[in-house]
Amino acid sequence: MLTMTGGGDVPVVFSGRLDATQAAAAQAYLDRLDGIVTIDCGELQYLSSAGLGVLLKTHKRLLGAGGRLRLTAVNRHLQDIFGYSGFDQILDIEPGR
Amino acid sequence: MSQSASFARRIDALAEIFAFTAQAFERERIDDRLRHDVDFVLEELFTNIVKYGRGEAPVTVEIGAVDGGVEASLLEPEAERFDVTRAPAVDTTLPAELRTPGGLGLHLVARLVDSVQYAYCERERCGRVVFRKTRSAPSARNGDERC
Repeated sequence: MLTMTGGGDVPVVFSGRLDATQAAAAQAYLDRLDGIVTIDCGELQYLSSAGLGVLLKTHKRLLGAGGRLRLTAVNRHLQDIFGYSGFDQILDIEPGR
Repeated sequence: MSQSASFARRIDALAEIFAFTAQAFERERIDDRLRHDVDFVLEELFTNIVKYGRGEAPVTVEIGAVDGGVEASLLEPEAERFDVTRAPAVDTTLPAELRTPGGLGLHLVARLVDSVQYAYCERERCGRVVFRKTRSAPSARNGDERC
């Protein structure tokens, strides 16, 4: 289950698991945001390649309009995923505790 | 000892698979810090079967403890041969503009776990992926085997 809150003037907060069953809802949520979008991942426990696809599509769209995607409070599991996928080279990622 | 369960070929069965994984880790006293990586690999393999497999029979997942970690397998009946250990390489150095998510899942599977093996039985038309994850660093001891 994935819970999404925030956006606009405050960071988006993802809580739970961003897997293949939640990817469409996450994409729809992010599609309405513009500019520099920050996602607080402090409560995001799990991310699959479906979730990576959502982040990549969002980042590319934002880049095209002069914005970008930022991820904060990224846990160790997510850091591994971003590292192995090379996403740590294309996204602005701030590790969590 | 190990735990096994079968799942219908639907994306929304992932929730049942994750619940099974949590239960199996608890019953087999497997280090819970390994569970996200096991879930990741199972999700990639299972969603590939749902998207591209032609069969209808349920897919069976088995999870057991091994020294220092976990061994899991995924059995696909009514399968066409598809060796997940030989998926095309993905260039993870490309800039965002040139990236596509395709193929990334299997690329990550090989890196998140210690070993991945694929076996296909022609007679039974059955594909089987076995992988291991331990607390040691991932390595590249991947390959295929025959049934």
